[in-house]
This record gives sequence, C-alpha cells and structure tokens, in this order.
Amino acid sequence: MKKVIEGSHAVSEAARLARVQVIAAYPITPQTHIVEALSQYCADGTLNARFINVESEHSAMAAVIGAASGGARAFTASSSHGLAYMHELLHWASAARLPIVMAEVNRALGPGWNIWTDQTDSLAQRDTGWIQLYCEDGQEALDTTLQAFRLAEAVNLPVMVVLDAFYLSHTFEPVDVPDQEMVDRFLPPPAPRIRMDTADPCAVNQLVTPAAYMEMRYNTQLAMEEAQRRLVQIEKEFETIFNRTHGLVEAVHCEDAEIIMLTTGTVTGTCRQVLADLRSQGEKVGLFKLKLFRPLPVDLICRHLKSTPKIAVIDRNISFGAGGIFAQEIRAALCNQEPHPKVFGYVAGLGGRDITPDTLVEIYNHTKNHSAPAEETIWIGLNQETVETWSN
Amino acid sequence: MKDPLIDKQLPLFIPHSSISTAVNKTGSWRFFHPKYEEKTAPCSAACPVGQDVPRIEMLASRGQLKDAWQTILNENPFPAICGRVCFHPCESVCNRAGMDDPIAIHHLERFLGDAAIAGEFTADIDRRPSTGKKVAIAGAGPAGLAAAYFLTRLGYGCDVFEAAAEPGGLLRWGIPAYRLPRDILAQEIQRIENAGVRIHCESSVTEALLESLKKEYDGLFIGSGYGRSRMMNIEGEEFASDGLEFLNRLGVGQKISYFGTTAIVGGGNAAIDVARSLVRLGAAPLIVYRRRIQDMPAFEPEVAMAAREGVRIMELATPIRIRETAGDSSSATPGYELTLHKMKVHKKESSGRARVIPDGEATETINIQNIFVAIGADAEALWQCPDSEETNSLVLSHCRFFDQKIPLIYGGDLTSPIKSVTDAIASGKQAAMALDTYFEHGAEAIEKRLAGCRVGAGPVLSMDVYLEKDRKNRTAHTVSYDEIVTDYFQPAARSVPSTLDAGQGMRSFSEIVSTLDNAAAKDEAARCFNCGICAACDYCRLYCPEMAVTVEKAQRTINMDFCKGCGVCATECPRNAMALEEEIK
Repeated sequence: MKKVIEGSHAVSEAARLARVQVIAAYPITPQTHIVEALSQYCADGTLNARFINVESEHSAMAAVIGAASGGARAFTASSSHGLAYMHELLHWASAARLPIVMAEVNRALGPGWNIWTDQTDSLAQRDTGWIQLYCEDGQEALDTTLQAFRLAEAVNLPVMVVLDAFYLSHTFEPVDVPDQEMVDRFLPPPAPRIRMDTADPCAVNQLVTPAAYMEMRYNTQLAMEEAQRRLVQIEKEFETIFNRTHGLVEAVHCEDAEIIMLTTGTVTGTCRQVLADLRSQGEKVGLFKLKLFRPLPVDLICRHLKSTPKIAVIDRNISFGAGGIFAQEIRAALCNQEPHPKVFGYVAGLGGRDITPDTLVEIYNHTKNHSAPAEETIWIGLNQETVETWSN
Repeated sequence: MKDPLIDKQLPLFIPHSSISTAVNKTGSWRFFHPKYEEKTAPCSAACPVGQDVPRIEMLASRGQLKDAWQTILNENPFPAICGRVCFHPCESVCNRAGMDDPIAIHHLERFLGDAAIAGEFTADIDRRPSTGKKVAIAGAGPAGLAAAYFLTRLGYGCDVFEAAAEPGGLLRWGIPAYRLPRDILAQEIQRIENAGVRIHCESSVTEALLESLKKEYDGLFIGSGYGRSRMMNIEGEEFASDGLEFLNRLGVGQKISYFGTTAIVGGGNAAIDVARSLVRLGAAPLIVYRRRIQDMPAFEPEVAMAAREGVRIMELATPIRIRETAGDSSSATPGYELTLHKMKVHKKESSGRARVIPDGEATETINIQNIFVAIGADAEALWQCPDSEETNSLVLSHCRFFDQKIPLIYGGDLTSPIKSVTDAIASGKQAAMALDTYFEHGAEAIEKRLAGCRVGAGPVLSMDVYLEKDRKNRTAHTVSYDEIVTDYFQPAARSVPSTLDAGQGMRSFSEIVSTLDNAAAKDEAARCFNCGICAACDYCRLYCPEMAVTVEKAQRTINMDFCKGCGVCATECPRNAMALEEEIK
C-alpha cells in the first residue's frame, strides 16, 4: 500500500517487515528516526524483537554481533561519528561472517560540527568488509533494506544500506509499503549457519596464525565477489514478487553519450532532471548511477563506461590528499581498458551544501569544455571570496 | 519464481573449535583472589538491637513478609512497637541518603509487625532445648520482656513479676496511644506469653520477695525502670502534678479534662507526651525548658509534631516558685502563678548542648491553669539500682552483672546509656546472653563471648551471631556509600505513609501515622541497597570472564582452577558483599 512516509521510516518499515529479532542502537541525528520507530514497534508489540539500549555505537555493534552470533536476524542504524565509533567492530562483524544489516545515514564528520549530508563517513568504512548499497529515494531504501537481509544471509557478510541525510532520511515521499505476506514470501525466516548455542558449546574467532589467516581473508573476498552475483538473483526474485527493481547500477542514455555523469545517492534524482533538460537541448549526455559500491561491480562499470570519452564523477566526499573517493575507484576500475575514458573528478555538496540542477549543469559544461581534466579534483561551488582571503 | 542458487551455501572459513578451553587453567595467572565476604550495614550497626536490616528489606522487597518479620524477631521481639516508637538511628546513617533519601526503615518495620498481626503469623524461631534452669525477672517493661523472650529461646524458664495490673511498663503507662495503640502493645506481649513466658501482674517485687526469689531461681534480672519522678525542689511544688503519673492515668483509660494554659516543665520525651496529650484533652500546653529548644533531649520529630499541634515552648526558663491565684478571670476555677528565672547560655558541652546559668536576676511570672513536672525520673527503691560500691561486678554496655549467690543482672533504663525502648530491649538481650554464658562457661567468659557477637564495631549485639547462624560470618567493616556501586540503583522517592493532619490528630488519641500499604512497602524495601550482603543479584557470575562462579542451591562458589583474579566480580558487586585479597605465593 502506498504511504507518504519519510526515508527513515521506509527503512524502519522494511526492518519491521523483515521480522528482525534483535535491534541495538544508539541515537544520532539524522539516523534517530529509524530506531525510534522500531523501538516504538517493539514497545507496542507490533514487532516481536528485543530492542537493546546501549551506551554507545561501539556497544550497539557489539550487541548485534552477539545477537547474530546466536543466529538472530539483527539490525542497527547509525551515522557519522557513531559509525566511526563502530569502526573496530565493523571489521569484526565481517570477519566473523555475521549477516548483520545496518542503515547508515550519511552525515558529515566534525569538526566543524555538522549534521548534514556527506558521504565521507560511510566511505571511510570502505575496507571493513561490509557490502555497501547507496539509495536514491524512499522506495529504494525500503526495497534495498529487504534485499539486504536476503543478501547478508546468502553470503554471510554484513550489509550497509546507505541513505543521504535529510534529502532522503527526512523527506516524505510516497512509498509502497508491501504486505507482510509478500515480504514473507521473499524473505524466509533466518536459517543461520553461525549459531552459538549453550547446549553445544564452542569457541569461535579465536587466534588464527599466519598459516590460516590468508585463506580466511581469501574466503571473505570470494564471498564479496559472490555477493554481486547473488544480488542480481535476489533482485530478479524481488521483481517477480513486487514487480519492481532498482539494479546494482543504472545506466541511462549511456550508449550514445559523449559525457556520462556518474552519481550516487539522492544526487541521482536531481541528475535525472538535468539529463532530460540537456538531452532536450541536444546534448549527448548519459547518467550512470552507482548503487553497489562494495563489492565494486567493475564489470558493469567497464561495460557501460569504457566506450564513452568523458566521465564526470560527482563526489559528495573527500579523501584528503587524493580527491573524491568514487572518482578514484572509477579510474581504477577503468585503467586497464584500452582505450579508457577521461575521468573528471568533481567534489561538490560537502557538509550538506545543495547540489542543484545548476551545479550539475556547471559540472557538465566544465567537462564538455575541457578535453582532459586540468586537475585530479575539481571543486564545485567553492565560495571564491572566502578562499581568496586566505592568500592575503 | 524462486532461484535455488540464491541460497546455495558458500564455503565458510572461520575459526571455530569445540574443544573445551577448560584445559587452560587460568587460575595459575592469579595473584589476587576474590571471596564472598559479607559485611555490616551501617543501619544494623546503628540499631541498638542490631537488626539485620539489609536482609529484612531484601526479603520484604521479594514479598517474603513472614521471613522478613522473623528476621526481625531473631533480634527483637517487638517489631510493631519499635516500628512506631523507636527513634530509628538506623535511618540517619542509611547509605541510601547519599543517593536520595534514607530507607524508611521504621515504617517498614512497623509494616512487617502489623502484617504479622493482621496475618496471624506464627513465628518458627529456633529454640534450644530446656536447660532446666529458671530465671526471675522484675519488671514487665521492654527490658524485662525482652530478657524473658531471649532467655526462653535459650532454654530457660522465665517468670516476670510486674507491679502494675497489666504488663508493658513504660510502653503502657509512658507512651500515649496516639503513638502506640494499646491493641498493638497487647498483641506483641501476647506473643511473648505464647512462647512460654509467665507474666505475674500485680506482683510487686519487694525486697522481701527478692530474697525468696534468690532462693527459688537460678538467676535474676532486674529491669524495673524509673518509676519515681524527679522533683524541682521549689516553693509551691505541691501544686504541680507528676507528668508520668498523668500519662499513667491516661494509659489506664481515665477520662480527664483540662482547659487553659498548662505549663509542662521539662524537655524530654515525657514532657512532649504530656503536652501533646493535654492538647487532646482541651488545654493550651506551654513547655518550659531551661536550655534551648535544640538542646531538648526529646526526639526531634516528636518536638516538631508537638509544635504542629500548637504546643508552645518557652526556652531558657527555669521555675523558681508556684503560688495559687484566683485564676483565669473568665473562669471560676483558681489557677497558679508560675515564676521563672530567665537563663542564658554559659558555655557549650562537647556534644554541642548548651550549659545554662541564670541570666542575672531576671524573672518572669506567668499565669497558668495547671502545671506538670516531667524533668526525669529515678528508680523507685534502692534495691532497684545496681550497687555502685560493689566491686564484684561486670559493667556491660547496657547491663550490670553481679556474680552473687545466684547471678544478678540489672538492665533497662537503670543501666542503658540511652533511655529508649530499643536500648531497653538491647539490655534484655545482652542480659540473656550474659546469663546463658555464665551458666555454660562462668562469669569470666561473659565479656569475650559478648564481644564476639558484635554487629559492626560498636556495642550492638546479635542473637543470631550468638547462636552461630550465618550472620556470624559477616565482618565488622561497616559499608560506606562509596563502597556501593550506585550504577545498579535508580533514584526513587522514599515512601511516606499518610498521617492525620494536626487538626484531626488533636481531637483524639487515635494513631497519627498510618502503616505503609503493601505496594508502598514493597517499593520502599526495594530501594534498599542491602549494604554488605549477597542479594543473589548474580552479577559476580554474569561478569566472570572465566565462568568460574557457579551457583548451587543458592550458594555461590568460585572455581579457583579458573579464577584468574581479575577482580571484576568483587568490583561489580553492587553492595560490597565480596572482597579481593592479595595472594602470596
């Protein structure tokens, strides 16, 4: 049934429909609405789950690790500093191969203290072994969360469902909230492969010597690679039940494009409009939405981008001293293709600054007017007056 | 259409072992070891009879009312009485005050005492088999009755001789019904009689009877209290009434009526009781006290209640003369003229009380309708007092023991450091222990045996310890607030029972304070930290990283093969019922 709900609640509805069994979370803006709704569901009996209040995000992740180790379907949510505080245990969750699902609402890290959207928080956790899926709107957030449980349990890896702060988490949109019966058909009860049981005591995750550690890591890498294939199959099954799909990536008008704008998250929605406008003006522009970031779908990136002369990657994040993180990843993915496109890396919209259609048109024009990027990273929308005061 | 490939299992390579880690005896790492070590709660150490308050509240919080009540009876036969009249020094040292407010220990004691009466609980108190010995007790006040109760439990036959028509002593003739209803008193005394104590009323102990008692009995306890009021020795003293005698007349049910300003000379609890009784009889009482209000020996809440009921207090004034006058102009009854010498503070005693001296020649004369004297009391006869010349005696904290032909012990107000009901009960208990020790091991064993029965570091004694129950294992260390792990406790308001407002209270001798209801009592008991005792919270077991703590039949033990001495258990114990000791290897 279609309901007008905010992005946060699209996620909490999905967690409820997924019949999660344990939730542990610590509040942080802009994530709080997700777990707030779930705590209400636990309190009023709508959801038969154990809600564990904790004193920190580190403990929240520890609690869901414990729950998942016992075989429970576990969920948490966080943002920014909260996610950073979980860092140690993010590695732990993936190396222990626990199918935990987390909603991560992108928020800038301080200082300067800032609650608005910025992808640096989730991208800083790139190498923790979590599957990462970036969502564009409320419907995708709901659907992806449902798929995330299925995917996590299929490959025994944790999944991070990523949403932009406010533009998605706090924006009300019509969202089709499916019936429980349909969700149950898609997502069976968990059949955990790791399930510690006091009746059958065992030790897990103890000391591993150099003689076995590398194989353990290789095993995880294989699972990550498998995750991409499984997600394709899961999406297919999702489509047969719910009659909609989102794709691991989405390529719009890429076949004949001379410039492809590469986006993640809610900027994709803005870019769709810009694409329509520019196309109507006869510009040969395409849009490539990257949803699955870990594992990185190198084959899909190459298939859709390799024949296009220029790629404009829009990064709402910054790896200091290197540049936008998506741009680096795209460059790396394409570098062995011959020939390969020029990749323009644009950093825009940090700390919640708006990325408007005009911003995207500026990026398009800049790409069109330069045969090759003059610098590795092009900052869009900087207040030049402020910057110039520094040179005095 | 379901794709079977989706859920096909991937190879999963993670560290996993079903071999027990028990081979790794982590106990070898240890250089500290934890142990269960119960300690003393400050309330217990402050209670004159050493009641096991933390255990009582723990049982009450679990709804085990009979067990909680019996735990009181182990140390004190009068819960419903003491819950009402004890000045509860326990509450002023309660660690809970460090978080919010002290536990309402006296309200809970009263609740349990009343629950036992209402529920007709019968006590299953341990009793030793009969020793065949008999003890005579002079005075059926709190000290004598307590001595009889504890001696009966220790296997002695007891006869209590009481001059009055009914037992109770000061409880009956000294404490007004608005503080201690007569049916409560009767029921608690009845329980002592049911235990086998014989009370002989209207059997005044004379010196002659005393001599025959010494022949018939194996031991003698004298707890006759202070029956004779002190005099002021001033002109016109014959016009003054005796406050104690007045309370006694009220206590036996005489209907008396008063009006007009009535002076009460004195500052103790008796003066307050006289004044508050007079309010109920229609008079306007005025307490005249020689020192300052804050120096009054009366318990402070009683003074406050009196003030609420309209009792006026004139401080720093001492009577020097009473003369008859024509009386109040509005009435035909003659009255008196009371002349007072004004006093001033001379210096302070070490306790902070003021010493006073006359303030020059300043006097003041007031017209009054009646005057009562309540400035203290002495023993009625010489034989009722321990002989201060006698050297062959043992001075105990609450008693005086004479090793004569038969052992003779003085107790109650005659020998207690604080003249209170609970101290009188403490002296009865001390006397019982001393006599029993005497019969078993002789007089020279008494001091050492009693010293081994202390609760905390003070003089307070426990019958449970004397009888070598589990309580014996507690250390004398008194738990402080800093030793409580307050993270485990939530602030919560103290439960307060309803009280009659001053207006209602002043119209009758009905009891002013009510008893806590069941729910409020349970909540209040649950506020208790249970300082120093194991409340079976199980945090030691839950937090032990080596799972070295096991519970069997409610007994916790630590497996030293695996205890690595990290100390988490002792540190997390919310109530300091554990200790950590260095291990010298």
